[in-house]
Amino acid sequence: MKTYQLLWRIVRFQPWVFLISALFTAFFFSSRVIFGYIIQTFFNILPTSRHLSPMLWEVIALLVTTALARYIVTLGGGIIRPLSFFITQSLLRRNMLERILERPGAQAVPRSAGAAINCFQNDTEHVANMFGWLYAAIGLFLFSLGALIMLLRINVQITLLVFVPLVCVVVIAQRTQARVRGYRQSSREATARVTSLIGEIFTAVQAIQVAGAEAHVVAHFRKLNDHRRQRMITDRVLTDALDAIFENTVGLGRGFILIVAAFTLHTTRLGIGDIALFIYYLTFVAAFTQSFGTLIAQYNQTSVSFERMLNLLHGAPAGRLVSHTSLHLRHQPPEILLQSKTEKHRLEVVQATRLSYCYPGTGQGIENIDLCLKRGTLTVITGRVAAGKTTLLRVLLGLLPRDSGAIHWNSTIINDPTTFFVPPYSAYTPQVPHFFSNTLQENILLGLPEETANMPAAIHTAVLEKDVMKLENGLQTVIGTRGIKLSGGQAQRTAIARMLVRDAELLVFDDVSSALDVETEQLLWERLFASRASTYLVVSHRRLVFQHADHIIVLKDGKVEAQGTLQTLLATSEEMRKLWQGETQSER
Amino acid sequence: MLLPLKRYLTLLKTYLKPQWLRTLLLAILLLTSIGLQLLAPQILRYFIDTVMAGGATTSLIMAGVLFIGVALLKLGVSVATTYFSENIAWTATNQLRADLVAHCLSLDMSFHKEHTPGELLERIDGDVDALSNFFSEFTLHLLNNTLLAIAILVLFFLVDWRVGVTMTAFAAIALLIMVLIQRRVVPYYVKLRQVNAEFSSFLGEQLAATEDIGANGAPAAIMRQFYLLLRRWLPINTKANFADYFMGGTLLFVFILGAALSLTLGAYLWSIGAITVGTVYLIFSYTDLLSTPIGEIQTQLQDLQQAEASMVRIEQLFSIHSALADDGNTLLPSGALSVEFHNVSFSYSPGAAIIKSVSFHLPPGNLLGIVGRTGSGKTTLARLLFRLYDPQMGEICLGNEPIKNVRLHDVRQHVGMVTQDVQIFHATVRDNLTFFNSAIPDSQILAAIDDLGLSAWLNTLPGGLDSELGSDGAGLSAGEAQLLAFTRVLLANPGLVILDEASSRLDPATEQLIERAIIKLFSGRTGIIIAHRLATLQRVDEIMVIEDGSILEYGQREEVASDPSSRFSYLLQSGVECGFIQHVR
Repeated sequence: MKTYQLLWRIVRFQPWVFLISALFTAFFFSSRVIFGYIIQTFFNILPTSRHLSPMLWEVIALLVTTALARYIVTLGGGIIRPLSFFITQSLLRRNMLERILERPGAQAVPRSAGAAINCFQNDTEHVANMFGWLYAAIGLFLFSLGALIMLLRINVQITLLVFVPLVCVVVIAQRTQARVRGYRQSSREATARVTSLIGEIFTAVQAIQVAGAEAHVVAHFRKLNDHRRQRMITDRVLTDALDAIFENTVGLGRGFILIVAAFTLHTTRLGIGDIALFIYYLTFVAAFTQSFGTLIAQYNQTSVSFERMLNLLHGAPAGRLVSHTSLHLRHQPPEILLQSKTEKHRLEVVQATRLSYCYPGTGQGIENIDLCLKRGTLTVITGRVAAGKTTLLRVLLGLLPRDSGAIHWNSTIINDPTTFFVPPYSAYTPQVPHFFSNTLQENILLGLPEETANMPAAIHTAVLEKDVMKLENGLQTVIGTRGIKLSGGQAQRTAIARMLVRDAELLVFDDVSSALDVETEQLLWERLFASRASTYLVVSHRRLVFQHADHIIVLKDGKVEAQGTLQTLLATSEEMRKLWQGETQSER
Repeated sequence: MLLPLKRYLTLLKTYLKPQWLRTLLLAILLLTSIGLQLLAPQILRYFIDTVMAGGATTSLIMAGVLFIGVALLKLGVSVATTYFSENIAWTATNQLRADLVAHCLSLDMSFHKEHTPGELLERIDGDVDALSNFFSEFTLHLLNNTLLAIAILVLFFLVDWRVGVTMTAFAAIALLIMVLIQRRVVPYYVKLRQVNAEFSSFLGEQLAATEDIGANGAPAAIMRQFYLLLRRWLPINTKANFADYFMGGTLLFVFILGAALSLTLGAYLWSIGAITVGTVYLIFSYTDLLSTPIGEIQTQLQDLQQAEASMVRIEQLFSIHSALADDGNTLLPSGALSVEFHNVSFSYSPGAAIIKSVSFHLPPGNLLGIVGRTGSGKTTLARLLFRLYDPQMGEICLGNEPIKNVRLHDVRQHVGMVTQDVQIFHATVRDNLTFFNSAIPDSQILAAIDDLGLSAWLNTLPGGLDSELGSDGAGLSAGEAQLLAFTRVLLANPGLVILDEASSRLDPATEQLIERAIIKLFSGRTGIIIAHRLATLQRVDEIMVIEDGSILEYGQREEVASDPSSRFSYLLQSGVECGFIQHVR
């Protein structure tokens, strides 16, 4: 989709808001035609006599009245115009956020989160500003039309001369636009690198402090900053140089008017007011050409912004960025409908055949993996570092897009695991869970209606009950930025509670024991297995989990090395023996 | 008004002083531009009066040519001004950004617990951006506009004292109106920026948690939160923006009244023969010209207010001092360090003691294993050793030196730690391993990589050490990330190494693979291993069992393990025999 098509789709979302904004702006600029007429009349009448004509006072009264009308329109515009910008930004943000949330979770954002935030903040702002420029261009165009008619009636020769710079300016703008585009992109990239680094630094702050690497990190930050400065200056100087050329066409034009007037004064009747009118209008006619030029440049920059936003949508059709969906600005957004578990959700068997995925540019991943999870069983995936355990879970759950392979739920083929593998079919605890600045309860429920969820059971099974009791406000304790920070183990168990409360058929655990001590973990599995109501898929290399397993899959270098029951594997697989041995030997 | 100005002057001194030459050039350029702006109406007056007097055509043409010359000169000055002001602004604000990053990095963890990376990004980049106007545009343009306004008023007095008095009074009233309106609108901007920052941190959290959200079916809930945020945002946005238009509209209205005033006054003075028609036009032009400085003075005051909100936040940030006094000057000896805790008590928040009166002594070169339930205080002990926090009571010594007396940087150079979260930067492998320390030679890095068995991984990367890693560690498994963290510690060569649940994400086979390297890491160093898994404790000399912040058991590993009544031996039992599994089945 072209940039103008995208813009048009945004306008069509709430056409009245955009139309009224444009009208108000148009009136604002057109009123200048009247101001010009007043100046012309005043200076034409004034020199005729030292006696002050009453017409002078009438003209001044007209000036004040017009100004008052324009003042009122400005205030009206002050409500409607910002609304149109707000709607623009919110719509783009909404659509991007929605798309990111439906992407495979492990690959939701193509680049760093900092760069994505930049996109949400600056690029949407750019598009909103584009409308501001558009309104102004429309208004200035109407004004210029009115001004042109008045000027042509006074003196065709000078009028034509006024429009010569206009043509020049447009030509210059068109010639320069390609370069502006290039510099803009590179300055944006430099900015994104700086913002990403800030994000990374403060995510890693403890590691940096512990390593005593503050000075080196700051030095690296300075380096990226300096790169950004150079890009920015090139970008700004070029943009401003263009602006300055536009602006000074006024001066040049006025000079030309004076020279032409000097030549024609003796042959035509040209009053002082007429010259004053030319000089007055020229400012705004030039402002029109300037804004036209700026509009072209802004349009190009908007294209760059759209490009980046579309990039964030990751392959979704461009229309998705500007699709019309309610922003719920006037009414409360609807409560979330809960998909309750029915017979159709029942898991009999989940099968995956020949699943493959390769991380772009690394050659690592998983290759041709088969998986069969029967109702009520515990399947354990194990293997050494980088064997592809987490990758396998992600590919199965659609958190990474598979390169090939098929997934079946009972006998139904699942083409889009990303949207399918959600509660009540399945739920997931990642290796490093993430939470939000909100209450513990909200972090566990994640929008589930409180009354339908069995919180106490989930908390108990997740071995979180003692932690909740210790907290001053229990489940209502705020965690995250403005609240308390959970310890590694608490976070892991909170994530398990979050998974359990969703009452899913298939529960997927990615190495949840990494932050748990032996006793807590023992209790956790004990409680989980007390009722084998769900089907379990677990990444682990804990002996106690192995001993529970109905089926163990040993991965090595992204391929299935061996699989079977613990007994068989210990008898047949050298890799399994090593994994088992490692654990035993070290615990003895 | 005075207070923010004072703040600015302090900032100015710090950040513009190193660039005084550029700043001076910029000032000269701005003065030139003022002169050129004032010259144009004078040429027009001359032109009109010459026309009225029926003067020579050549004089009129000369006026036109002069006008064009002025315009061309202005063009050059304008481009040069942009270059210098942008350069000054970016140099200064980059310095400020770097200072802020350095400052925040110097703050202790209690600060970082309360401020998310997203929030700090808004402070360090967002707020500093708002300030960047201040460095070039605000400071020099305000100066420029003030001078321009004064020059115009002086020229008014030169025309006629009545014009001077009237227009000065007008300018004063216009400015006063603007300033009064200005004051009313500042709170709206502050609120708007707050809600902007809130959105940033909302977004940061969501983007970090896409896996959790997606696989647990929560996107709809997140969208709902987004809508609720929009609903709060809209009225704040409307008010702040309306305030903006109100100011701009009022300015325009006031200046049209000013134009009416100048025309009336001009007409009167012309009728009594005090001035020429050209001069009436000059007064009209200068009044128009006056709107620029007064308008810009007010928008710059507006920037100032926005900048003020930003500046207040930046100052607040700067005024936060680390809870850790870094005034020690003793240096730690090199080589293995002894570790000593004397009655150490600590809590993150008052009343909730995490560490309760802990004392122990670990001789240099020994290896201590710490076990305990989650939340028992193990990780906190390690943080105290690094002086990420200071204990409320008691004393911690490294190499028999109280760590309070040692420079913070020195403490951290002598202590290395690997935690379970390994942070990867969007940078080269080399920078990730050395933490951007370019003084470490490649040979040393490669040797460390080789020691830890990461060579195979490195060989899969096409660019070797120069390969760029993704910031989220994409393409790097948790285990490889962990090995990378080990390499970092090896390169730092500390006298005390702490492994905090370091092996929790390593499967036993990989763990065995790096065992050799871990032994090497601990040789000639004191070591502390904090682990939930008993697996990692097999080679320690001493054992500490910690519960609810107190030491439950402490002693030689063999002793504690062989005491059948000890907690540790119970843990070993349950680990080795997996008694509870039978129990479950």
